[in-house]
Amino acid sequence: MFPSHNSDSNCRVLRFSVLIGLMVFLPLSIYGTYSDPGASDLLTLQQIRISGTITDSNTGEPLAGVNIVLKGTIIGANTDNDGKFSLNVPNLTGTLQVSFIGYITQDIAIGGRTSISVSLVQEVQALSDVVVVGYGTVRKSDLTGSVSTVKPADLLQLPVQRVDQAIQGRTTGVYILNTDGSPGGNTMIRIRGNNSIQGGNDPLIIVDGLQGANLNQLNPNDIASMEILKDASATAIYGSRGANGVILITTKLGKLGKPVIDAGYNIGIQNLARKLPVMDAASFARYNNFYQSFGTANGAIPKYYFTEADIAYYEENGGTDWQDEIYRTGVMQNGNIAISGATDRLKYMVSTAYLDHQGILINSSYKRISLRANLAADITKWVDFGLNYSYTNEKYKSPPFNSQEGDVLFMPVEDAPRWAPTEPVYDENGNYWKHRPGYGAYDTWNPVATALETKIEHPTYQNNVNLFLNFKPVKGLSLKIMGGGTFSNSYKSKYQNTKTRNGYAQNGVGNVDNSFYNMYQNTNILTYDNTFGPHHITFTGGIEDIFSSSFGTSMEGVDFLVDQLGTDNMDGAKSVTVDSWRSKRALISFMGRVNYGLFDKYLLTLSYRADGSSVFGKNNKWGYFPSGSVAWRISQENFLKGSPVVTDLKLRVSYGITGNQGIDPYGSLAQLGSWFRYPYINGTNLNIGFGIAGIPNPNLKWETTAQSDIGVDVSLFKGRLTSTIDYYKKVTDDLLMGRELPGYVGVGNVIDNVGSIENQGIEILIGGDPLVGKFTWNTSFNITINRNKVLDLGPGTERIGWVPTSGGYSLADDYMFLEVGQPFGLMRGWKYLGLWRSDEDAEARSYGQLPGTPKYADLSGPEGVPDGYVDEFDKTIIGHGYPKFTWGFTNLLTWKGFELSALILGSQGNDLFNTLRIRRETYEATDPKVWNYWTPENQDTDIPAHYDGQWVQDQLLQNKYIFGTSSGTTSRWVEDASFARLKTITLAYNFEQKLLNKIGFSKTRVYFSGTNLLTLTKYSGYDPEIAAYPGNDATIGVDMSVYPISKMYTFGIDFTF
Amino acid sequence: MKKRIFKTYSLVILSGVLLLFTSRCAKQLEENPTDFVGPDNFYSTPSQIESAFAASMDVLFGGWTFYDWYRYPEIFDMEDHVFGGDLVINDGFGNDCWSKHYEAIADINPAIKALIDNQVTGASDQEKDELMAQARFLRAWNYFMLVRYYGDIPLITETTDVTKDEIIRNPISEVYDLIVNDLLFATQKLPAVWPAEGKARPAADAAKTLLAKVYITMATAPTNDVTNYAMARDMAKQVIDAGNYSLVPNVEDVFKLDKEFGPEFMWSFHNSQEEYVIEPQIWLPGDMAGGWGDIKTEKRWGEAYPEEPRKHAYLLLEDNIFGTGTTYLNWDESTPYVKKFVAESKENLEKNVSYQSFPIIRYADALLLFAEAENMASGGPTQAACDAVNQIVNRATGGVANPNDPLFTTSMTKTQFDDAIIQQRSLELCFEYDRWFDIQRKRILDKVTDPNFLPNFSVNDYLMPIPQKDLRLNLKLTQNPGYTDPTP
Repeated sequence: MFPSHNSDSNCRVLRFSVLIGLMVFLPLSIYGTYSDPGASDLLTLQQIRISGTITDSNTGEPLAGVNIVLKGTIIGANTDNDGKFSLNVPNLTGTLQVSFIGYITQDIAIGGRTSISVSLVQEVQALSDVVVVGYGTVRKSDLTGSVSTVKPADLLQLPVQRVDQAIQGRTTGVYILNTDGSPGGNTMIRIRGNNSIQGGNDPLIIVDGLQGANLNQLNPNDIASMEILKDASATAIYGSRGANGVILITTKLGKLGKPVIDAGYNIGIQNLARKLPVMDAASFARYNNFYQSFGTANGAIPKYYFTEADIAYYEENGGTDWQDEIYRTGVMQNGNIAISGATDRLKYMVSTAYLDHQGILINSSYKRISLRANLAADITKWVDFGLNYSYTNEKYKSPPFNSQEGDVLFMPVEDAPRWAPTEPVYDENGNYWKHRPGYGAYDTWNPVATALETKIEHPTYQNNVNLFLNFKPVKGLSLKIMGGGTFSNSYKSKYQNTKTRNGYAQNGVGNVDNSFYNMYQNTNILTYDNTFGPHHITFTGGIEDIFSSSFGTSMEGVDFLVDQLGTDNMDGAKSVTVDSWRSKRALISFMGRVNYGLFDKYLLTLSYRADGSSVFGKNNKWGYFPSGSVAWRISQENFLKGSPVVTDLKLRVSYGITGNQGIDPYGSLAQLGSWFRYPYINGTNLNIGFGIAGIPNPNLKWETTAQSDIGVDVSLFKGRLTSTIDYYKKVTDDLLMGRELPGYVGVGNVIDNVGSIENQGIEILIGGDPLVGKFTWNTSFNITINRNKVLDLGPGTERIGWVPTSGGYSLADDYMFLEVGQPFGLMRGWKYLGLWRSDEDAEARSYGQLPGTPKYADLSGPEGVPDGYVDEFDKTIIGHGYPKFTWGFTNLLTWKGFELSALILGSQGNDLFNTLRIRRETYEATDPKVWNYWTPENQDTDIPAHYDGQWVQDQLLQNKYIFGTSSGTTSRWVEDASFARLKTITLAYNFEQKLLNKIGFSKTRVYFSGTNLLTLTKYSGYDPEIAAYPGNDATIGVDMSVYPISKMYTFGIDFTF
Repeated sequence: MKKRIFKTYSLVILSGVLLLFTSRCAKQLEENPTDFVGPDNFYSTPSQIESAFAASMDVLFGGWTFYDWYRYPEIFDMEDHVFGGDLVINDGFGNDCWSKHYEAIADINPAIKALIDNQVTGASDQEKDELMAQARFLRAWNYFMLVRYYGDIPLITETTDVTKDEIIRNPISEVYDLIVNDLLFATQKLPAVWPAEGKARPAADAAKTLLAKVYITMATAPTNDVTNYAMARDMAKQVIDAGNYSLVPNVEDVFKLDKEFGPEFMWSFHNSQEEYVIEPQIWLPGDMAGGWGDIKTEKRWGEAYPEEPRKHAYLLLEDNIFGTGTTYLNWDESTPYVKKFVAESKENLEKNVSYQSFPIIRYADALLLFAEAENMASGGPTQAACDAVNQIVNRATGGVANPNDPLFTTSMTKTQFDDAIIQQRSLELCFEYDRWFDIQRKRILDKVTDPNFLPNFSVNDYLMPIPQKDLRLNLKLTQNPGYTDPTP
């Protein structure tokens, strides 16, 4: 029946073509047999007209857009702007189901009436809500796992470019870190801590069933529901991809009734949230002369760079404020329009959105065009069909910042607050000024030149398509066959022309990277759901196959003949190097789940998944992931039933195993690297070197996370007060990590399963409606406490270190660590104790120091006791990059048409290593606080004293602070980065319905909002919420050249008509 | 009824088909990479063998990797020449040096094995011998560096299974056996001269000079086997007599860019014209092209350097390139900087670009090795020894008699001559990865180091610590005296 040759690609093509064939052919053929009787039924039955009005039970105002359906049929209608509806029914014995978002759905028996009016009660917490879970849905009341739901309305309260920014502070167990403030900038999402060192900690994101989505490419307006699966009971069904939690997003479909058009536009004005203080030019020049005057050691002659005339000139004419030169007022505009609707058999939603963000750093911007088309059709009574298609085009541009773009010493964000204010931007001929040597940040490059002359173009294109057929042959049984894929490519070009530092050195440097990513997913899910007396059982079983490939090319050209052409004409470069790459990965899975409920009180969920992954070593191709959970709805017991206080009370316990397969393809194979280049043969032209790059590991496998969770859900006073509290503990074993190899092997490490990490935490969410009625107040407070601990790093390894910063900051040795018994983000170095005081002169001299110079703790020595030296033995823990807890506080107040919402969030107990201060407060100082230097009369300061160099030499001190080239590795630069922030505050007005009716609109909302208006923190850098090295969770906590965040004021308007 | 049957039927088919497909495609889980090779399907042509050599050099000199940034072979910081040589040598000192040289050896060993196993096709026996000779030269040079840095070290050859845990530190004598055997093979099989298109490869004289240095090192501390002096002398004499190399006449020109392939440079780390790996700012003071001054001389040594043309050629005493008019007294630490490696054009220096080569073996060294060995083997200075070293002295002084840098004579005692040779090496070969090894083999660290740092001196400083990582991961390894062993 099938070809017998063994080609993978044939097999795959065949499978997909059969699948598509089935999807097209089956429904059509079946449709033919089904449609005859149905059509006549529909024509003859709709006879009696029922009409009525739907109002709000509190305010008595009519509600527009309420959905009324005759139960068990597809007959339905929506209310108009006056809350009125009418529909035709075959007889007057049925039941109408009246539903509206945010209100409790009511079933009204027609009971012979033709006029029916209903007042709907606003739902505070709807227990009957359906929650999306892995490969299915469950009633919220039946849920046994830990799942957070974020309401789409909450997501749209602040103007954001990505959805995850909107989740921040709104739910528990999710740590969101805005790693930088750039347009289109990324966010780090961690669900319940950090499980992995090298396997990645990003959650699995699934949009409409398609796995591995990118939140930056999703239009926030398209979201219908968003759930965050946290415990193993919820995520184990995703097996080897579930350990970091799962975010499930469903996009919108139209509702029965006439087509609805939703449109919105907003515009935001942004400014640098906080500027770093810098000296003016005269003050800088004076300070520099003052500083130089002490340089007399070894018989040196002090060299003064500024004359009195220079200083007088600066007094009169001022200098350059480099931050003003590179930052500007940014503008963010957002426009979106969606058309949605539904007929008896077809639901649809088509939307498009445009985002244009001009960032606060000159020459930075982000643009995004997105398009989505969702379709769902009932082909027959027992087959329906659906399509989700989305297209996103992003265009990203920014001058280089943070570590991913090369040497931090040549980046405008880092250089601007360091450049001497005495230096002009341009010389008299209009060329970019070069910093005069000898003082200031002369070893870096003109920040304006770097910002304006680095030409970056980075568009990405992504198509997601997802088709499904859903068969429901008998009651309770359904088979959903889904086939889809993601097809994306990205082009990145960067040209550093001869006015940039690298371009100047090499006569133009151009880079072009082109990459393609294709992912195909086939998911087949069989679901059986039925109730037998008190037993409610749901069985879910599935087979899934995911295949992805990526490939690309990258080029670098140097020495361009025509500077203006740059990367658009790589032929014009004298020397071009090219690389290309390709990799594939495959995942084949079988899964099953049983949900069982007895008397709606005792609930049990068991799930199991088997994953076969191509990236695992050949001895370990399959991994197995079971989970189980139970829940007890105590409120359903007789002693609580009907209680006026307790509306709902549920206790949940779960345990399960999930995995992480974040291994790069071919990671288990031996490898020779081809990237070595050395002019071995003729000394002039590079020869390609093939060198040893990896030794094989056939036993390589997934990381295993065992998680237990105990939680309670409470709802009191008919939902006026609700709370969810969870405790969890996760232990991740078999960490994917480079297992260290002895140096004589020639390869530093081999990727292996070593080490173990624990995360445990408490999540508390309390929400309520203190005020209902005409004036309403909805509020919620959440707090997440995660304790992360490294349990094991492999035999003989106590700690692993990183030195994320490159040259120029006296940080040559590791200072960020993973250490057994300690959490992620650990900083180690010498402990700064302030400056030596005058009365400590003798002790200071015993270390070769003087009063007024920094004092560091002498904690230990070779014998384990203080030895009079501060050296390697005295390094200690000096900071923690992750917070002890994070919290959020949301408020929504409404009165008539007005809405005021505010989100306050915070992070407590995290430190930042403020590297910039190392340069701004020492020998090339630009920070005005350096004038507050230590003197015997002014000892209460952190700025060291100045001593004549020759005099110090004559003291014949023997320095016992042995810091080598790592003198920056001290707690002097580590600061508490805890913060509390008014993230957003929005005032909105919904125009009165009556007014709108006259112009044909059903809803109009205008709003004014402020983002990042107020931040309380002791941190002295640009912002306490940043990460310079987001690529490695262990190095979170370092501030270095990060695009700063901005304050934003936004005005927006939304229409529905 | 018909409908129901059809539904059931289609469902069964569908499920069956899907199951069948999924099981058939389990072989998808096998990985067949297409964008890289493994060691099993490589090393079969001469250029693949040479690509292993290129990789082995790149790991040592490839863009801020190791030897290209002077600071990294940290032990050279402890020379009396280099500013800041405070003799504080902690347990982490020189760890990169260990792993990088072993990485180079790991690149070379499979090439040697492939040549032994006769895997290489399309080459004559002579070409194969030349490939093998290069491989063994490179391996010997890497081991020679390692054995001097660390003493006893694990010998990893083409037959060693590095994943086994029976690897121990082989005694120095075994390491030298390997080095000498490899180099003897290289001296015999390497061509006297490579054709111009392959001129950067090591030739026979490079191997001979290196072997002379190996012998002289074996004749001195710590092995002190003085019978090696004669062998060192003979080897160096072969190089001098062959006449393939000579001194550059003018001391100003020795490090000029057009001299990087001879007549004096014999084998070097090369910067490619296609890619520069060193930013010359490491050698320059802030006043000159915004220099960083990573490496500068120890003031005591720099100021004591005899006043002669060589001092101005090798040391940077004033800005005579950029015209800022500053002298070393204006620069950081008010000490002389290093000029040998800033022969680039002013324009390139301003651009932070340098294509300078760094000699590893230079003809001047062959002359000095000969003179030293001849004196020691003959029981005192001979005319031949004096003639050899005086070529260097005359060039340094420009032929002008200099009481601070006098010519060598046969009237000197053996010891005087030997001391003067070591001093002459110090002046001539400064900053060329050499002085430290002279200090080490002559055991003079306490005599030459800055007296301020003398309290930090210990005889244990002559060897660097075995990296903590290797000691932790292989309990059979032992630590050098004076350093911490993290394992019981």
